[in-house]
Amino acid sequence: MQIEAAICAFCGCLCDDIVLTIESDRIVQAKNACALGKAWYTAHSRPPDLPAARVDGKSVEVEEAIEAAAILLTKARYPILYGLSSTSCEAQRHAVALAEALGGCIDCCTSVCHGPSGMAVQGFGEPTCTLGEVKNRADLVIYWGSNPAESHPRHMSRYAVTSKGRLTPNGRKNRTVVLVDVRSTPSSRFADLLLTVRPGIDFEILWALRALVLGRKVEPAGLAETGITLAQLTHLAELMKNCRYGVLFAGQGLTQSAGNQMNLSAAILLVRDLNQFTKFAIIPMRGHGNVTGVDQVLTWQTGYPFGVNFSRGYPRFNPGEFTMVDVLRRKEADAVLSVASDPAASLPAEAVQRLTEVPLIAIDTHESETTRLARVSFMASTVGIRASGTAYRMDNVPLFLKQALTSIYPSDEEILGRLLERVRELKA
Amino acid sequence: MIRLALKTRPDLPLEADTIRPDYFAQKTEAEIAKLPVLHGNQFCALGDFFNVRGGASDQLVLEGDLAQVKRIGTGMEYGQITIHGNAGMHLGAGMRAGEIVVFGDAGDWAGAEMCGGKIHIHGNAGHGLGGAYRGSRHGMNRGMILVEGNAGNETGSLMRRGLVAVRGDVGEFAGAFVIAGTLIVFGSLGRRAGAGMKRGTIVAYQQPELLPTFTFDCVYQPLYLRLILQTLQLEGFSIEEEWRTGAYRRYSGDLNALGKGEIFVYDQH
Repeated sequence: MQIEAAICAFCGCLCDDIVLTIESDRIVQAKNACALGKAWYTAHSRPPDLPAARVDGKSVEVEEAIEAAAILLTKARYPILYGLSSTSCEAQRHAVALAEALGGCIDCCTSVCHGPSGMAVQGFGEPTCTLGEVKNRADLVIYWGSNPAESHPRHMSRYAVTSKGRLTPNGRKNRTVVLVDVRSTPSSRFADLLLTVRPGIDFEILWALRALVLGRKVEPAGLAETGITLAQLTHLAELMKNCRYGVLFAGQGLTQSAGNQMNLSAAILLVRDLNQFTKFAIIPMRGHGNVTGVDQVLTWQTGYPFGVNFSRGYPRFNPGEFTMVDVLRRKEADAVLSVASDPAASLPAEAVQRLTEVPLIAIDTHESETTRLARVSFMASTVGIRASGTAYRMDNVPLFLKQALTSIYPSDEEILGRLLERVRELKA
Repeated sequence: MIRLALKTRPDLPLEADTIRPDYFAQKTEAEIAKLPVLHGNQFCALGDFFNVRGGASDQLVLEGDLAQVKRIGTGMEYGQITIHGNAGMHLGAGMRAGEIVVFGDAGDWAGAEMCGGKIHIHGNAGHGLGGAYRGSRHGMNRGMILVEGNAGNETGSLMRRGLVAVRGDVGEFAGAFVIAGTLIVFGSLGRRAGAGMKRGTIVAYQQPELLPTFTFDCVYQPLYLRLILQTLQLEGFSIEEEWRTGAYRRYSGDLNALGKGEIFVYDQH
């Protein structure tokens, strides 16, 4: 059996032209998918070999595990829900309702990747566009602090560099590609202009670029530590001002280096300034399949994209106070629910230490450090392979992911829905 | 005078925005002990965590390590709080008048968005001192913050009016996007100070790394700085005579914003 136009939900590109070949309930081929996508389809189409639910390492019925998890969570007085970047918006919606019912915190992987982008957007807005516009219109593409050849392998071919669109009929020939990074990467060979900068000084460079674009004076001494010259920056500023349609793709090199949200604020302000001269947009290079969706759902439900607290019964937002790493590091959380994420393997050691001290509940599609550490763990079906659901592409375009294979596991949506129902009963 | 001595250290964040002298002024000891505080996600009584002595006063003395106790004195309108120990996040945030003195460290966002009054921290302060919350249009708007130790990142960010003086070092982005107001740093001023500042003054006593959008203007002796330094001396800051009479290098910026801000760097020569 073949499925046309399947959507790969591994990374934020959400490529929707995958052709799946299915034989005896396994995906044997994922045509058009990149190496990461192929590996994702292969890994998640393996026959299930773990019990659907475990409590203290013992296999139990899902219902029993729901009861155990609900009791642990309702007993907690400062629980935190975390993850949600690789699941559907429907499941994310239940997670927000659960955080509200529990009076706890809810945070997503955004807080350790593009959270600073969210904070910058809150301060300065987001002059953005869709990837369709990039494909059809963009003649200047800038990747800043990003290595798409390895992190989003089809980003350049499908949307930004070699793709042919209405106003870019010759694809690559119609575009100028600029790469700004701290080192040479596999993406470097696609660049017409490569700026290798010293780590941790992106703010100074973006700030000087703003001044050059606006025709203001720049003190060359202020650029001494950046690794690039005023002449190089002037050339880039001219390229930006004279393009027809420019796009700045902001990677984690900007959000997770010194300056964080200020780097993104500078990038957004630069793009805003450029719109006095030409059309320019910024798109954050979101990583996980539906990490954009969790920001959308949280904002839709609470008004804030991540780091939300419901202790007082209404949502409050404060990155640094209600975000996962901070809540764990300060030893505040007294129970953790991790959904479609692996905090035990990805967070700093100080934060992971707290995960070992409090009741941990994990819902994931595969065995991970977090599910091994968890007191209660659920195996869930993968959205886009064994479950359906909505996901948002990195440019905030929603797409519906269809189920391709059958599953013995419930979906995240179903587990969270049942957990929510039970928590509401216990709280009543 | 009312004394609150911490008897049970909270194991979860304790939001105590009811600890305000203006709330206590008309209340008896028993009424104060019954005031609600949020422990985790449940409301408890202030008396569950503190021994309360005294009532009907706007002079408060807090004792114990209150690092987990958030929001002390937020929005207060008059009176005085003296804390013998550390204070948690949001100390005196949004306060309108009155005074807070901390003989210890203060957490992040101390004095954030305050619009009057005075905070004197004898230890270190955290990030966002006198700054703005995410999405806010401005940080502190009137008032005075004095820190004897160091302060973190984004000190006085988006400040609208007021004075912040830090005897020690401050982190990155001090006075970022300042609209107006004064920030004086006697220790080292972190990188990117004054980024995006429209107006306002930052005074440094060690040569900072300045952004490329600040330009050198001149060396001169700003008269009004003497008055500010004199005020700080009256508040107990030791001010050297040559700081008052000496010359300062003036840099103006941020040229990416209005460009009417100034960074003074004390010129030792």
